[in-house]
Amino acid sequence: MKKTNIEEINRNIYDIKNKDEYEYKIKKGLTPEIISEISKQKNDPDWMREFRLKALDVYNSLELPTWGPDLSELNMDEIATYVRPKTNLNSSWDDVPEDIKNTFEQLGIPDAEKKSLAGVGAQYDSEVVYHSMKEELIKQGVIYTDMETAVREYPAMVKAHFMKCVPVYDHKFVALHGAVWSGGSFVYVPKGVKVDIPLQSYFRLNSPESGQFEHTLIIVDEGASLHFIEGCSAPKYNKVNLHAGCVELYVKDNASLRYSTIENWSKNMLNLNTKKAIVGKNAKMEWVSGSFGSKKSMLYPMSILNGEGSKTEFTGISFAGKGQNLDNGFKVVHNAPNTSSVVNAKSISKNGGTCTYRSLVKVSENAKNSKCSVSCESLMLDDISRSDTIPTNIIETDEVEFSHEAKIGKLSDKTIFYLMSRGLSEEDAKAMIVRGFAYPISKELPVEYAVEMNNLINLELQGAIG
Amino acid sequence: MSNELLEIDNLYVNAEDKKILKGINLKINKGEIHVIMGPNGSGKTTTANAILNNPAYHKIEGNILFEGEDITNLKTDEIARKGVFMSFQLPEEIPGVSVSNFLKYAKNKITGKPIKLLEFKNELKNYMEELKINPDYIERSLNVGFSGGEKKKNEILQMLVLNPKLAILDETDSGLDVDAIRTVSKGIEMFKNKNNAVLIITHNTKILHSLKVDYVHILVNGKIVKTGSAELAKEIEENGYEQYKLS
Amino acid sequence: MNKTIELNETPIRTSKNFNINNITLQNVPIPEHIENFENVTIINESSNIIINNSIKPYNLSYGLGSFLESQVKENANQTLNILVNGKSNNELIIEFDFDEDNLNLIENIQITAAENAKATIILTYKTIENIQAYHNSILRVKAENNANLNIIVVNLLNNDSYNFISIENELKEKANVHFTMVDFGGKNSITNYYSNLIGEEANNSLDSIYLGAEKQLFDLNYIGELYGKKSNMNIEVQGALKDSATKHFKGTIDFKKGCKKAKGNENESCMLLSDTAKSIALPVLLCSEEDVEGNHATSSGKIGEKELFYIMSRGFELKEARKIMVKAKFNTILENIKNEELKEEIIEQIDKKLD
Repeated sequence: MKKTNIEEINRNIYDIKNKDEYEYKIKKGLTPEIISEISKQKNDPDWMREFRLKALDVYNSLELPTWGPDLSELNMDEIATYVRPKTNLNSSWDDVPEDIKNTFEQLGIPDAEKKSLAGVGAQYDSEVVYHSMKEELIKQGVIYTDMETAVREYPAMVKAHFMKCVPVYDHKFVALHGAVWSGGSFVYVPKGVKVDIPLQSYFRLNSPESGQFEHTLIIVDEGASLHFIEGCSAPKYNKVNLHAGCVELYVKDNASLRYSTIENWSKNMLNLNTKKAIVGKNAKMEWVSGSFGSKKSMLYPMSILNGEGSKTEFTGISFAGKGQNLDNGFKVVHNAPNTSSVVNAKSISKNGGTCTYRSLVKVSENAKNSKCSVSCESLMLDDISRSDTIPTNIIETDEVEFSHEAKIGKLSDKTIFYLMSRGLSEEDAKAMIVRGFAYPISKELPVEYAVEMNNLINLELQGAIG
Repeated sequence: MSNELLEIDNLYVNAEDKKILKGINLKINKGEIHVIMGPNGSGKTTTANAILNNPAYHKIEGNILFEGEDITNLKTDEIARKGVFMSFQLPEEIPGVSVSNFLKYAKNKITGKPIKLLEFKNELKNYMEELKINPDYIERSLNVGFSGGEKKKNEILQMLVLNPKLAILDETDSGLDVDAIRTVSKGIEMFKNKNNAVLIITHNTKILHSLKVDYVHILVNGKIVKTGSAELAKEIEENGYEQYKLS
Repeated sequence: MNKTIELNETPIRTSKNFNINNITLQNVPIPEHIENFENVTIINESSNIIINNSIKPYNLSYGLGSFLESQVKENANQTLNILVNGKSNNELIIEFDFDEDNLNLIENIQITAAENAKATIILTYKTIENIQAYHNSILRVKAENNANLNIIVVNLLNNDSYNFISIENELKEKANVHFTMVDFGGKNSITNYYSNLIGEEANNSLDSIYLGAEKQLFDLNYIGELYGKKSNMNIEVQGALKDSATKHFKGTIDFKKGCKKAKGNENESCMLLSDTAKSIALPVLLCSEEDVEGNHATSSGKIGEKELFYIMSRGFELKEARKIMVKAKFNTILENIKNEELKEEIIEQIDKKLD
């Protein structure tokens, strides 16, 4: 079969750059003085300032990972960790400055808000510029706000949960996050409240040579349920940008949470994000993840199944093109009896891109009668790309059904011939097989997002079709 | 206008450096049903794949004309769009692509026109009833988890929807039970008219009983060793291929 | 001299927190004076197999680490250079029996199979007295074009012993090397196995069974690098763990650029026979070539209750039923061993260990 060269995509709307206008931009680098200044700029309470300074110490004491993509190009002296946009938090799009509003409009956020969301948060650089939620959810006691407001208005709840699920000493970039975090969303769903329509937070990084460190903290109380969507993008610059967000999810007994992400950072982004969920008795945590952007990504969402009968599912896809090294995966720890996990991970490598699936499954001694099944499929679209699968499985009890399967291969010539015999061109045939390959992930997304994901796949493959 | 649909002229084909077809000649006119029979390994499937120019098979010599035009080296999809269809012996499974989406997409490619959705839906529903295909299948991934018989019926459904000028059925009857064979025959009858043609490739004769076959060709060791009427199939049914293998 | 050693690095690192990139053994009793090891029986009835004692210097690509590699290079008390020619039924058996007078075996073996040569080579390691044995060996195999080697390594040491084995294979065009490893003995049994499939259509199979009891630790680091077009690597590991035994399986199949139409399979399955046994697996696939087929599958769990019930309904008690199930799992790999006497001995060991 003839090889088709798949060119770099035109990321059109994602690449719109606004002028680097801001109200305040901290000077580059990481020192206690800079951290104190961020804290002052953000009007932190004392405990938070002390927390930040302690996290900086931890950051300085930890080493870069000795595994995964090479991060030596990251120089924190070249990164501004705090950029405040030229607006306050608004609850109406009309109050958001024109250029920022335009960006979110082109990304389809206000439109989606009207059609299919129960609430929206929008962050621009380091601060949230828009937050709003449907009246009926407010009445039911649901809280959905930016993290800064939460620190001010719900101090007890924040103090009890903030960086308790993901402690600062987890790894170097979590410590960094602890020191410089800004923005992000806070959600609390009270006992028994079912939020049927998703909430979405969108994170946009516009400023060059800067970082985004948003903190998302979600508590779904007993018997409650929520679907939360996270989107992210940035225009491309020549120098490295850094994203080191942190997501902490508490899914209490009998609750359920679905956390969906479509990540489309620009290809100068180092995405070193940390996401973790603690799952209670008979509760359910579902992750749906599409990873398309970033130059380098190290992202391994984690479920800790602490409650008896708790469940988790991970459904994810990574698509790496030219110059991208996406080291993604999933971690699950079974810590209680009758827990179960299902992992379905896929990756596509093309045009010199590298995808790595890296994972941990740990079934501890007290997780009797647990089940875990993992399936991992990697597609190589040419012979200059790379695809690795590096799963670690630790099984410490005999009362377990554990299985892991992985496959690496290319698009089958036979399948391409079959489709071509039905009148599809070679390029159409390949695109159809790839879309079908990604379908288990896109079908888990709300329809608008599934369309967006298919568009991203088509964009990525467009060089071949055009 | 000429009645001639397909003409294969002195075709030699290799598969993985092995010589499979060694000089095939075949003419098919509109309105005809042809049958190629032969023992395992005689080159039947290779003939079908060669017509659709499967890149896994290499043409060494000879030409294939379709409606007078040389299609020997056209790409598979171009040949399909000219009106050649092949029902696969082993249809491919395509996860994540539903039968209905696939058929819509393919129909659009073949006709080059946008599909009228309602008309298309009704047409599909009608065909599926006739072929006794469970209506739920329409939203399932193409061929994934289908039984052998379901896959073959799905191939016939595709033939009816795409409505080619020449349908090549490669071992569509193999491995099917009596009822399924009857359904497949029915599909062929529904498809067949005086402006199209069917080429049936098989090694047994059950499927031929209910069809009005015009020509039977015996393919042995890469060559057509005998051509005759439907009677020839009956003779094979009784005596097998032994006498032809010797010659 | 007791020593702490860090050994058996994986070819690619993963998160340090997972504790699988290498293994650290505390208090390994490294023998200080290495006497001769004389309890060696060589059964060689073939004139096509020639053995001498000179091996040229080399460096391992992987191995268990510099300390153990140097120990073999500097202090080997058995050096065997085995040359195989000819196609006929060549069989070589070498038995190493440890006892009070032969406690420490440091062994350097090289096997070279000439073009078209064919042989079966069996290496067995047994403790015949109640002692603590120390075994550290390097086994290098070179298979020239079309050579066909069937190599069987059987570790039946007792559970007080230390067993370190480094294996390196190089396979030329259409060479076929089939390894069978029976890994039962040792307080610690640490294996590094590396195959370099450089030749087109080179074919390497590694069939391995392990059986752990008490506090035994198995650390298996199996690596295959596929360079040759249409080369083929197949790793099959079956094991069972009872008591507080632990197994680390680290399997890497690495499709290197240019190995078009290569195939690689890893299949690892662990039967857990107690709730204190631990099974850790890192089944890695690395791929920088498009036109390849790579698969791995790994599973852990206890013996299926339906199967157990079925066997017990035929009058077998639980222990017996387990034995039957474990042996059934091991059977396909044991079939590789045509030497009936040896096979019997292995089956006896299985029964003994599962009592």
